[in-house]
Amino acid sequence: MKKNFTPRFIGSAAASCILGLVATQHAAATVSDEDFNALKNMVQQLQQARQQDQQQIQSLQQQLGETQTLATNAAVQASAVAQAQATPPRNALHNFTMVGDAEVQFAKTYGNGTHNGFVLADFAPIFLYQANEKVLFEAGFDVTVNNGSASGTNIVSNQPYTHDSSSSTSVSLSFAQLDYIINDYAMFVGGYMLLPLGTYSERTAGFLNKIPDDPFGVEFLPGAGAGAQLRGAWAVGDSGQMLTYAVYGANGPSSVDGSGNAYTLDSGGNKISNLDLGGNVGIQGSGDNGNLHSSPSGGGRLGWFIPWGGAHKDLELGISGQSGVWDDAGSYTWSACVLDAALHVGPDFELKGEYIDTWYSTADAGTVRPWGYWAQAGYKLAGLNLDVPVISDIELVGRFDKENDGLSTKSDRYTIGYVYYITNTLLFEGDYEFIHSTGPNALPPNQLILQLSYGF
Amino acid sequence: MKKQNSRLQYLVRTVAFVVAWNVIVSLVAVAQADETKPAAAKKLTGAELYAINCNRCHQERYPTEFTSAQWQTLMTHMRVRANLPAKQAKEILKYMKEEAGN
Repeated sequence: MKKNFTPRFIGSAAASCILGLVATQHAAATVSDEDFNALKNMVQQLQQARQQDQQQIQSLQQQLGETQTLATNAAVQASAVAQAQATPPRNALHNFTMVGDAEVQFAKTYGNGTHNGFVLADFAPIFLYQANEKVLFEAGFDVTVNNGSASGTNIVSNQPYTHDSSSSTSVSLSFAQLDYIINDYAMFVGGYMLLPLGTYSERTAGFLNKIPDDPFGVEFLPGAGAGAQLRGAWAVGDSGQMLTYAVYGANGPSSVDGSGNAYTLDSGGNKISNLDLGGNVGIQGSGDNGNLHSSPSGGGRLGWFIPWGGAHKDLELGISGQSGVWDDAGSYTWSACVLDAALHVGPDFELKGEYIDTWYSTADAGTVRPWGYWAQAGYKLAGLNLDVPVISDIELVGRFDKENDGLSTKSDRYTIGYVYYITNTLLFEGDYEFIHSTGPNALPPNQLILQLSYGF
Repeated sequence: MKKQNSRLQYLVRTVAFVVAWNVIVSLVAVAQADETKPAAAKKLTGAELYAINCNRCHQERYPTEFTSAQWQTLMTHMRVRANLPAKQAKEILKYMKEEAGN
């Protein structure tokens, strides 16, 4: 641009000089009209050229200003980027997340005259609050709708109502525990915690269990307890294999009436077990400490997880147990031993089960020994490679379980069912149970259960 | 005598259970012997560890279902619940964060 401008400027100056000389000569000599007009045109052209040059100068000055502004902005931005790169990203430490599951259940029990109906609506959130990478607080709740109680009197017949009226909602705390990661091999858990007696208690959510109801035997174990736990794992090699451990102390089971008797009587005079697996937590209304027996129970689990050939091919074995006194005087002991196993052979086949043995000494009935076991298999029809949308989303399940409550009631059960995976976490499950049960607390013969379960 | 029989039955049942599982493990190990060697030779990635561990108890949860921050919390929860070794949990978390949703 400068090269174009300079000659014009010099040209203008030269033209002015010439004009000056010409004008001087014109004053001194006679100039024809023709020459005068020619010079006049030349002057006008030079003036126009000068005006154009001035406009161009202004335009160039404006462009220069804009360029300087852009350069300044770029420098500021580059400085900001450099600063951002020099400072590592600061992720917020605190995080609150909610997961959990929800279920709706429909059931028909045969042989005891009950109506079919929607028997369960359950919302089970788990609140997770992380303070930093090592500290997590987690609490799980069960919010369930129940039938109301039968109360009041019919004013026409003057007879008490026999049917339940309306409904009520119950909220129970499944667990509330603080997790602290001590190091790569040890984690501390404290609070009201799920107990690692077998694996079912820690894997019991509706969308985890492929059959809507619990297997036999698990009701003889305390699913949770107030206490403290140390747990961790060691990787064995680089194939994903691991050894796991958990040791804990918890208040443990207690006695309903404080004695070491096997039975107590309810308000109707019926015999009920005197063993309270839920244990006690906190201070009683009487002012006594929650743990009425002399000392908490101790327990633990050892596990071995063996994958082979990548994903979906693995075996998990575990052995766990717990023992401690259960009566107020601390004279009688309750103990449990659980063997658990789970096998996956490819993405479509799963087999798992537990053998549960418990025993407790009593003041009036010697040693009572509730025990049970269950084995459950599942096969996903996607393994048939039929490429049919609905069929490929179905998993067939079967279970056999058996139990003896140690108080003369024995039951065994065959269950067949299915899981239809609407999505990976929305399941429509159904099963039919063939039950054979004898004894004072015998179960009804057969049962149909349908369940919609959602894990979130 | 009756008590002794009961204890004996219990012992037999327990031993039988353990033996049965050991037999299954052995059969499976033999059947998969060829596949085991190459698998053990290489170090597993976060994606592979995720595939091995995260569908043992439930259907796989896709990484995009949660944000990176949520995965941080969820993996702490699952490390405790499933008793995962630290290095494996860290590899899985790294993978989940890389693939996390917004």
